[in-house]
Amino acid sequence: MFITDIRKEFYDVVVNQRVALLVSSDIDALCACKILQALFHCDQVQYTLVPVTGWQDLGTAFLEHKEQFRCFVLINCGANVDLLETLQPEEDSIFFICDTHRPVDVVNVYNDTQVKLMIKQDDDLGVPSYDDIFRDEEEEGGDDSGNESDGGSEPSGKRRRYDEGEVERRIERQRAMREWEARSDPKLLNMCVYMYVCVQAAMVIFELAWVLTKDTKDMLWWAIIGLTDQWVHDKITHMKYVTDIATLQRHVSRHNHRNEDEDNSLSIDCMRISFEYDLRLALYQHWSLFESICNSSYTSCNFKLWSMHGQKKLQEFLADMGLPLKQVKQKFNSMDMSVKENLREVIEESSNKYGMKDIRIQTFGVHFGFKNHFLASDVVHATAALLESTEKDDSPGDNFIKALDCLSRSNLERLHGGIDLAKKKLMAIQQTVASCICTNLILSQGPFLYCYLLEGTPDVKLFSKPMALTLLCQYLLKMFVYGILRCSCLSLLPLIIAAPMDVEKRTVIVLGIPPESETSDKKNFFGRAFEKAAEGTSSRTLHDHFDTSIIELKMEDRTKFLDALITLLS
Amino acid sequence: MFCEKAIEIIRELHRMGDGQLPAFNEDGIRQVLEEMKALYEQNQSDVNEAKSEGKSELIPTIKFRHCCLLRNQRCIAAYLYDRLLRIRTLRWEYGSVLPTNIRFHMCAEELEWFNQYKKSLATFMRSLGGEEGLDITQDMKPPKSLYIEVRCLKDHGEFEIDDGTIILLKKNSQHFLPRWKCEQLIRQGVLEHIMS
Repeated sequence: MFITDIRKEFYDVVVNQRVALLVSSDIDALCACKILQALFHCDQVQYTLVPVTGWQDLGTAFLEHKEQFRCFVLINCGANVDLLETLQPEEDSIFFICDTHRPVDVVNVYNDTQVKLMIKQDDDLGVPSYDDIFRDEEEEGGDDSGNESDGGSEPSGKRRRYDEGEVERRIERQRAMREWEARSDPKLLNMCVYMYVCVQAAMVIFELAWVLTKDTKDMLWWAIIGLTDQWVHDKITHMKYVTDIATLQRHVSRHNHRNEDEDNSLSIDCMRISFEYDLRLALYQHWSLFESICNSSYTSCNFKLWSMHGQKKLQEFLADMGLPLKQVKQKFNSMDMSVKENLREVIEESSNKYGMKDIRIQTFGVHFGFKNHFLASDVVHATAALLESTEKDDSPGDNFIKALDCLSRSNLERLHGGIDLAKKKLMAIQQTVASCICTNLILSQGPFLYCYLLEGTPDVKLFSKPMALTLLCQYLLKMFVYGILRCSCLSLLPLIIAAPMDVEKRTVIVLGIPPESETSDKKNFFGRAFEKAAEGTSSRTLHDHFDTSIIELKMEDRTKFLDALITLLS
Repeated sequence: MFCEKAIEIIRELHRMGDGQLPAFNEDGIRQVLEEMKALYEQNQSDVNEAKSEGKSELIPTIKFRHCCLLRNQRCIAAYLYDRLLRIRTLRWEYGSVLPTNIRFHMCAEELEWFNQYKKSLATFMRSLGGEEGLDITQDMKPPKSLYIEVRCLKDHGEFEIDDGTIILLKKNSQHFLPRWKCEQLIRQGVLEHIMS
């Protein structure tokens, strides 16, 4: 059931109990988890935090902890599948789910006692009403028996009339039943086909903190990172991003209100969040400007940097702005002040000439101390790189802990380490995209585009992780659509990418993203498509990820799976 | 040479640095005390002689022996006092029951002193903090909060806390637990205290 008053129905319930927090491995969940942990520290709520990477992990964690805990809080997992069916909990276990994945499973919505969803109900969820799905069987039986007993006490003439009446009623009921069945199935089907994400978990928990008036700047910063994560990984539309930024901007101004006074200004070491209309270049303040332009998807797509022509255009662009090459290739912090002064406006002007209208984007930045200035997207990239680091001896649990640590302000070395890893990741993505396009690895299979990364590709280990692979997939599609295609018929196709996941077990990770367009609503139908294709060909697949459009597949079954998909989607 | 034995026992104590308690050197102390007795008797007879017969040339010898006596006294006092300080820190480290091997190293009087010290400390702790008293040997620094956040570094299995609830300590899980229950596990290296 949906929770209407998050304070009374969620927080007041858990504050007196011990809670198990099951947190999914993505950045939005990490941020929500940090905010919730801070709230629990304030109120001394004992909790246990367990990271989970997929449905199997969730099941194991639940089994291990179900003896000790009654209250489970699930962050970014559990809403889109019938939870009680999957986990089989005891009668008195309560689940509080804060999940961005939509659509929400109907059984979760209509369960009144055990499953509580921390989701606002007016989010156009399209949940069918109760009567449409669950028919109350008892009513008809009652009607029948009542009428029969009435019919029995009457004389025979009337009885016949009642009998006829009863037969009519039965026929009417059967017709209604058939109609209802015809109605309910497609509705259910429609609800499950498109998967998308909605309000980020971090925002929901931040609003809880705000309602309790326990929100701090740290919590606000984490909420901002949660939103930026959804934007960086292209999960939400631009409209939604701008709307959410406006909401957060109100909170930021509220927190910054104290700094207005000239006499009592806060020390430079205090944390300050500011609204910035900054460049869309990834990590540019921690890198050199040139590298950043080469490795950000927006700029490299527009310049077509994999070709010589593109490189020349970039040099022209830099010359047009009057930025000396030596300056631009230096670390950003070491650039001359005269160059840095109006950098954003200068770049915006020039990029308008080269067709990049949206080089600047609304975002937030944080300052603390003299040295430390980070944009939200920097932190997102760093955390994502840490969360999916493929260094040796790094189990998923270790990565989760490192990523969680880097979100605290006291662990700056961790954050800087993350930024370095993120730079390597972005460069690897750029090179892979360039090589894919140059060697024509993207093939059109009819209803979709398909790309397979061979085992020998450099840095292919990085792409065995879902978030890195998603980024690669999105860059690839953008490059392909904006860079190569002349005819528009191919440009509205979705892209499916497969990469080797585990060499010993011989599995590949397959994911699909919706077509790239300005007006796309980012709804992904590959979840159902993959399930159906797997069933149809009895391929050995593992639908373990919370995001249903990402699956693991055995290498040998790849071709038949693909063929099944082609037939399914055409 | 005089006073050499005294220096030797001090050097022996100094060699066992860092709070460890070597065995009580009964022999050494006895030798020093005998030396002191011999010196004192010699001095006595010389003083009598000097007084009765007026031999002033004995006075430097008397002075010298007196200095040796004082030096021996200072050395023994330092030795005994240093041992007492070490025994005092043992109470804070090990608690009120000392391991038997340490107890063997202490002489009877030192054991007596230790018991008295224990009693004084206990009376003091009982007098703090209202009725129950406060165990100040628990935390090295005054604690800031009742509960601390800990991270599990290795699989430890189930762990029971005061109100009977059981927690499963699995690698990489984080918990928010009462401070006093975690101290032991933190010392063992199973849990790690996280300061955010």
